[in-house]
Order: sequence, then structure tokens, then C-alpha cells
Amino acid sequence: MEFLHFVRRALVAQFNGPPPRDEFVRHALDAGVGSLPLLTLLTIFAGMNLSVQAYGTFVRFGGQDLLGLFCGVGGIRELYPVMAAVICGARIGATLAASLANMQISEQVEALEVMAVDPMRLLVAPRLWAVTLMLPLLCGYADVVGLAASYWAATEQMGVNGGTFMEQVRDIVHLGDLAAGVFKGVVFGWLVAIVSCYHGYRALKRDGAEGVGVATNRAIVHSAVLCIVLNMFLSALLYVR
Amino acid sequence: MAEQQPAITLEKVCKSFGPNRVLHEVSLTLPAGKIMVMLGPSGTGKSVLLRCLVGLMKPDSGRIFIEGQDITGLDERRSAGREQMFALRRKFGMLFQDGALFDDMCVGDNVAFPLRQHAKLSEREIAARVAEDLERVGLKNAQRKMPAELSGGMRKRVAFARAIALRPKIVLCDEPSSGLDPVMSATLDELILDLHRTLGMTFVVISHDTAEARKIADYVGLLYKGELQAFGLKDEVLRSNQRAINQFFERSTEGPIQVL
Repeated sequence: MEFLHFVRRALVAQFNGPPPRDEFVRHALDAGVGSLPLLTLLTIFAGMNLSVQAYGTFVRFGGQDLLGLFCGVGGIRELYPVMAAVICGARIGATLAASLANMQISEQVEALEVMAVDPMRLLVAPRLWAVTLMLPLLCGYADVVGLAASYWAATEQMGVNGGTFMEQVRDIVHLGDLAAGVFKGVVFGWLVAIVSCYHGYRALKRDGAEGVGVATNRAIVHSAVLCIVLNMFLSALLYVR
Repeated sequence: MAEQQPAITLEKVCKSFGPNRVLHEVSLTLPAGKIMVMLGPSGTGKSVLLRCLVGLMKPDSGRIFIEGQDITGLDERRSAGREQMFALRRKFGMLFQDGALFDDMCVGDNVAFPLRQHAKLSEREIAARVAEDLERVGLKNAQRKMPAELSGGMRKRVAFARAIALRPKIVLCDEPSSGLDPVMSATLDELILDLHRTLGMTFVVISHDTAEARKIADYVGLLYKGELQAFGLKDEVLRSNQRAINQFFERSTEGPIQVL
């Protein structure tokens, strides 16, 4: 109930006019640009690994030419959006939860209330907008980087024909799949932001520094679990005919 | 001429957290433009009282009037109630115990924050007000410093400048002298007296410090175990010879106030 009440207040704050610009830009840059190095590094290795594992299996029955198909379906439809959500979600969620929890325990949120400034509007709404808009971009970015890494590993390391690989990708991955990935990113982004803000916001002064740690931990764990579980339902909704 | 409304009126205010009774039938009236010092040992409900005054906590029963307006009926879950509460809070400035400065803003921006939110002033006018208030608290050269770079006393003074930036009618101070050296405490006391004289603000000061109460208070209250043991004009309270008051002002272990 407490969470639903928070969600209701957050939605009212989020859609009650544009978010404070400076706060939005700051969080968008942190969530988006700040996540790029980590996401790039991990997606490159995940993409290469996808090729390596698939090749090891497919080559047994002479199906190595299907590598592009597998990397397209498995990567773009499933792996990269979830990876972006979990990796960036952990990073972004930890930052959001820790910053809000710290503001709670040091009475900064109460200070806003006393100054007749709505903390949901000033603190939560820009964070929600920033992460909801940045995560789909990160998902798209992860698609490109991951696929490029799979392609490189397939062609340079395992000798798969590049033309065949890309043909398979084009056959299986359509614009709708990319749009679905972006849609998943929007859903994951909002989910990561609301869960993290919730845990940060409900920290209490009496919890002290430990409260910040607990809020951060819960934000990371709950965001990751929810994204992975929700991904299955979204995939069923988007791809099962 | 119409009689001026009291700044604050409490009628039998009660507040509990589970079985823990924090405030029990606290009633008092503080006229506008006066300084009240609420004394009491730690953990006796002084800060809860302050939070109730500004609507951060809701009493379980009883009523609170701010300049004649009953705030206990305001329902912040409804947008109209929240608007009314925000309008009411603009009458207040509050100095939090640890300052509650915004970590990601420099000193100047912290003081300017309420002005940018509520005052219809140009950036130039805001800058002038910030400079004036920081000079008032002796920190005119600290505008660009971040809160993390400040000492405890400096943080409190910046928080004080922020609390008075909008020239509120009522300023609430939660233990302004705790953790400060005597000279810094005296400086803050002088500041409160100066603002009271020059701007006619009403002050509610939560404190353990009897010297501070003697120096700045018009009205003194003593809160112990959630009950108001004494309240009234300072001289009357000090002359009243109540045991709790005597014990507190004489720093004695003998008396009705026990170590919790």
C-alpha cells in the first residue's frame, strides 16, 4: 500500500508540468552518459560470448551459418535490453536511492517541505523522467554494440561469413524488434527509477548511514528482479503469437 | 483596532508513537513578535512539537492554530489541503538541528533557494538579499563554498540565513546552540535578538540551554515526558518556584526530572 501511495504521488508529480530543467539534465546526463563506459564494456563481452557459445553448439550439426539469426533474436530481442536494464539499473538505481536516502536522513527533504516546495516534484519527477528517457536509448546503444561484438567474434574468430551473418540478422530482426527493445527500455527505466526513488525516499533519519546502505541495496536487488521477471511477460506479450 | 492574533496557539495537543506518549495535552499561546524558548531534556518531545507546528507531523488529538488558522484539519493527501499547508508554511522559516543544507548547492544557492522558489525577485535582487543575509550571519565571504567545506557552526549560520531569507513571520529553531562553542552560541543568540528587534519576527527556540533562555526568551516553557511542566513569561516562570523549573535552571539532579 505504501508503495502504491508513493507511485500515485510520483505520477501526479511527474505529469504535473515539465520537470525542473537543471535537475532533469543533471540526472539524464548521469544516467545516460555516465552509464556508457560500463555498458559498452560489458555488452562487448556479452556479444562476443553469445557468438562463441552459439558457434560451439551450432557447429555440431553444421548450423554455424545460423549464428546471425541466433545473435539477432537472442541479443536484440532479449539479452541486450535486459542487460542494459540490469547493469544500468543497478548503477542508476544505486545513485538515485543513495542520494534520496541521504537527503532524507540529513533532513533535506523535510527542509523542502518546510519551505513549501514539493519534494516529489523537485526530486522524484526529474529522476523519473531522466531514467525513463535514457534507458531506452541505452537499450538501443547496447543492441548496436552487442551485435557488432557478436559480428566481430563470429567473422574474425570463428570464420563465419560476414555477409551471411548480417543476412540472417536482417531476416530475423525487424524494425518492430528494435521498437520492442526501446519499449522495454521505457518500461524498465520507469520501473528502475520508481523502485529506487521509493527505497531512497522512505529512509528515515533514525536509520542513519545504515539506512542509506539498506535503501541502496534494496533498490538494486528489487530493480534487477523486477526487470528480469517483467521481461518475460513483456516478451510473451510482444513476441508470442 | 482589531486585536492581533497570537502567532501560535496549541490546545490540548497529543501525539504518540505506538505506546510511546510523546506529547500529552500540551496547551499554550504565544503572542506574535515574541521569542519563546522551549526547554526540556533530550527525548521529551520538543522536536516533535516543532514538527507539529509546521505540519510535518499531525497530532493525534488537539488543535494547533497558526495566526488564528487551524492547521490540524488540513488534509495533505488532498491537493487543496496541501496547497493550504504550503501557503501556511510560507509563514515559517526553520533552522534544523544539523542545518539540513542542500549538499549539492553552494552556500549562496542554499540561501537563495527559498527566494527562487517563492519570491518574485530578479536574480540581482536575490543576490543582494543573499549577500545581506550572509553578512548578517558573518559569512559574507563563504558564498561559493559547499556545505561539506563548512564547520558545524558555519552550517548552522548558513541554515539560519536560509531560514530568514523570505522574511518569515515565525522562525522555528531546533536546538540552535547544540554542538556549538559558547562564543558561537552567543553569536547565534545575538542574531535572534537582532532579527527580533529589526524585523519583528516570532521565534520558537528549542533548547537545553538555560543561559540561552535567560538571555533571549520573552516566554519560557519546560517540556518533560511530553507534558508542559511550565509555560509563561520568562520572569514569571523563573519566579514561580516550580520544582522542575528550579531543577532545570539550577542544573540539579534532585527533583522531578529524572535521567531517562
